[in-house]
Amino acid sequence: MQRRTRWLASGALAVTTALALSACGSGFSSGSSTSGSLTSSNKALTVMIGSSGDAETAAVKSAVASWSKSSGTGAKVIAANNLDQQLAQGFAAKKPADVFYLSTGSLAGYASNGSLLAYGDQLKNKSDFYPSLVKNFTYDGKLYCAPKDFSTLQLIVNNDDWRAAGLTAADYPKTWDQLDAVAKKLGTGGRTGLVVSGQYERLGAFMVQAGGNLMNDSSTKATADSSANVKALDFAKKMLNDGAMKFAADVGAGWGGEAFGKNLGAMTIEGNWISGAMQSDYPNVKYTVVPLPEGAAGKGTLQFTNCWGIAADSPNQKAALDLVQKLTSKDDQLAFAKAFGVMPSIRSAASEWKKLYPQFTPFLDAASYAKGVPTVKGASDVIADLDSKLGQLGSSDPTTILDATQKNLEALLK
Amino acid sequence: MTVGRVLLYAALIAIAAIYIYPFLIQVVTSFKTDPDAASNAASLLPQTWTTAAYQKLFLTSDFPLWFKNSAIVTIFVTVGRVFFDSLAGYALARLHFRGRGAIFAGLVAVMSVPLVVLLIPKFLVINTLGIYDSYTGMILPLLVDAAGVFIMKNFFESIPVSVEEQARIDGAGTFRVFWSVVLPMATPALITIVILSFQGSWNELSHFIISTQSPQLTTLTKGVASLASGQLSQGTQYPLKLAAAAIMTIPVAVMFFIFQRRIMNSSEGAVKE
Amino acid sequence: MTTTTVMTKPRRAGFGGIRRGEAASGWLFTAPVLIILGVFLVIPVIMALWVSFSDWGGRGSPFSSDVHFVGLRNYSTILDGGGLAESDFGTALKNNVWYVIFVVPLQTALALALALLVNRTLLRGRGFFRTAYYFPSVTSSVAITVLWLFLFSTTGTVNQVLAWMGIKGPNWFNEPSGLIQNGLAVVGIHDGPAFLTQNSFLGVSFWDWLGGPSVAMFAFIVMAVFTTSGTFMLLFIAALQNLSPDIDEAAMMDGAGAWKRFWRVTLPQLRPTLFTVLTLGLIGCWQVFDQIYTGTQGNPAKTTLTPAYLSYQSAFQNQAWGQGAAIAFILFVIIVLFTLLQRWVLREKKVSRRRQLAYSPETAARAESKRAAQATGGGSR
Repeated sequence: MQRRTRWLASGALAVTTALALSACGSGFSSGSSTSGSLTSSNKALTVMIGSSGDAETAAVKSAVASWSKSSGTGAKVIAANNLDQQLAQGFAAKKPADVFYLSTGSLAGYASNGSLLAYGDQLKNKSDFYPSLVKNFTYDGKLYCAPKDFSTLQLIVNNDDWRAAGLTAADYPKTWDQLDAVAKKLGTGGRTGLVVSGQYERLGAFMVQAGGNLMNDSSTKATADSSANVKALDFAKKMLNDGAMKFAADVGAGWGGEAFGKNLGAMTIEGNWISGAMQSDYPNVKYTVVPLPEGAAGKGTLQFTNCWGIAADSPNQKAALDLVQKLTSKDDQLAFAKAFGVMPSIRSAASEWKKLYPQFTPFLDAASYAKGVPTVKGASDVIADLDSKLGQLGSSDPTTILDATQKNLEALLK
Repeated sequence: MTVGRVLLYAALIAIAAIYIYPFLIQVVTSFKTDPDAASNAASLLPQTWTTAAYQKLFLTSDFPLWFKNSAIVTIFVTVGRVFFDSLAGYALARLHFRGRGAIFAGLVAVMSVPLVVLLIPKFLVINTLGIYDSYTGMILPLLVDAAGVFIMKNFFESIPVSVEEQARIDGAGTFRVFWSVVLPMATPALITIVILSFQGSWNELSHFIISTQSPQLTTLTKGVASLASGQLSQGTQYPLKLAAAAIMTIPVAVMFFIFQRRIMNSSEGAVKE
Repeated sequence: MTTTTVMTKPRRAGFGGIRRGEAASGWLFTAPVLIILGVFLVIPVIMALWVSFSDWGGRGSPFSSDVHFVGLRNYSTILDGGGLAESDFGTALKNNVWYVIFVVPLQTALALALALLVNRTLLRGRGFFRTAYYFPSVTSSVAITVLWLFLFSTTGTVNQVLAWMGIKGPNWFNEPSGLIQNGLAVVGIHDGPAFLTQNSFLGVSFWDWLGGPSVAMFAFIVMAVFTTSGTFMLLFIAALQNLSPDIDEAAMMDGAGAWKRFWRVTLPQLRPTLFTVLTLGLIGCWQVFDQIYTGTQGNPAKTTLTPAYLSYQSAFQNQAWGQGAAIAFILFVIIVLFTLLQRWVLREKKVSRRRQLAYSPETAARAESKRAAQATGGGSR
């Protein structure tokens, strides 16, 4: 009798506490998003970015600081250690950053669970953005955020190594075989010809050149196991086993840019962000940007873009929108371009950018033939899984890898 | 000295050298330059002694802030645990009340729940209570631990009852008896709790991951982890990372060396981590 | 013992006299512990259980009306879904199983060996050695992982030391190949038989299941043994010092050699401590999180992914909160099962009839007479 009452009592206590907690959920509130009207307060804004380095962090901080001064609203920039995790945690806790980097891969997930404010229609310069970028950030028919910049991949060549191997401007590789030959020639003195990060976000350029990609342009069909992709990875595997190409992790570098800067590789495949990193970390390395070689389907490369997301739970959406408006203006975008080498997402800035950076023209020209990465919800997971397998491409079978990726992508589309 | 003895000591010294060498390397490398650390990782002599890593650590990163946060949390948690654990331990050991057995059984059950299971839900509860991203959220859940209650309970049971009986007959209330009579006698056990709480909260990581997100509340563990892998880990700046790890270890090491005899002899309680 | 007339039954709760106020004090004293543990331990477990059976997506309260009960869907996605979730869970499980297989025996054996060695030293040296072996256990897992990342980097200390011995060390934390598969490759076996590579469990082929821990995971295994052997060594030392030397002397007089004495006399007496060490070791090994978070985040090629880290990753990075909670509970069940299994394996077994016969008085008498016959026949031993 005594034991039973004890159990009943403790059980009742537990249940009551649980109910009480769920009722007085001050942390959670069933928020309904009122479309059209933006929230406003005098709270300071939090801007969370996934920075590529000190150059980018400093540039964003100064742009935000100047807006803060002129608008009178405080703003703080946080460089996230793990952007996805910190965003997810903030959304779940209903204390998200107000403005943040949002990648194409993450858009679908956050948009579908209501974490984002779809402010695209309220942008004054909406028509100025490149249409392909706008498409990347449209979900369920609504433009969710303003593209902040974009980058494409091209081939980066070390000038000194190039000359030392007796090569000239005429020898820049235009086909895959030429790339292989040139990489072999440059691989002397402990240095590898071509060093890239072993991930889809780099090797995918070969896939596009061969005529394939992981998914079709609108991310509605999975094409990972196409013969074009297999050919592309076979080529990459051949270069790995020939010693013409090595992955950055295998030479002790964190990414292709670091390997290039430390001259562990004479060439690398990177995006225009490399200019910022080279400027700040390896200023003495002289390099040239040349278009990647053509594959069976002609020219091809990957395109990456992020946008400025605004949280639906932000208490000061009006100020956030104002900040984003400024950050996507021509002056700010060109300032970012100068600081860490991204390309402006608005067409009106293109000609001025080309005047500033004639040496980076190949990047901007690629806009016409570059393809984006899959944007379906859950794609970033599948790509992360693919990346983990690509690290071992030298000893694996591309068909097996791509078949697994195809299966995973198809599971997302169901 | 027999051959056996010599071999014994030789083996012990060799093993001790293996155990100490990594820490020597850590301290020495923190005084090397980056290229030196990368190319002569096994040498105990830097080519040039430099304090560049420490300067960078203290002047350009948030390390002092992390240290402050860790200190704040650790102090509160240690004081809290000493007080609450001894209160509860005394109640379970000496006070007779209905439900005592159930509470004891509950504590045993609670101790068996692996911390992994609590990662996600503790985050949800902290959120619900509205203490997410605050010192309260960092400190409150750690303020009590079941193992500490056990240690205090076991100790109190070993104190003769006569002392308390005397005080009670003299008219002291229960709390007076606890506070003025029994607790002062419990110094050895209290020191054990202090050591365990200090170590536990100073070295805690997963709880801080789920309870905070603001950079102002980053503790040493979270900060050094972000140095190792994350936005702050630019390149292979080993001297910097090792310096951070070394300084982070100093307070626990100091505690350890001061109280080592106590730690070594109190092998009753399960020393976690 | 005072003769009391007023306090009749001092052991019964809440009865008369001085014991009257104890119930209130009792509850009051334990209240903080109850509240804090209840709120931050009991309630979270219940909440997680609910989340694992629901489709909560990461925003708003898990108890709101938008969140629905979906039964075992999260669990089936992980255990049977055929997609990435299942293979990730299988990989994480496989990694942790190998981790446990290597770490628990190694750390127990090393701790016991160190305890035996230290126990035989003179008092003065003992403190130094105990300190040296226990110090790694005091450091935080974050600090040790940072140190380990340096020691085991491509140009790190370990590879330099190996180079002195003429061995080229691997790129430890970036090498995902399994130890066993590497060993088999050395003797020429590169691909497994078809029935192992074609069939899979939880999305991972049986060939991969048997592949052993990766080289990267091995570095973590070494780290685990390094940091926990000291703690368990202390437990063993305490137990050894509690052993009475009489039994050991008796065995010595019966002619048992040192090894036999250890195996048949010392070790069985250490059974309770052994049980504690194994239990703590198992529980700890199944919860590897801090090191992975700080060090490799599951890389290379997901070979250092553990269920604990996967649970965190699913929830906090991929916003699959239901799956993350489900993984955590499956892990809970695994830990409980392993603990029970280990308790069963180490139980006091009944001595078999044959053994009993060996120690019976008749057999002893026969052995005694045999020994007497030998003694008269030859010289003394």
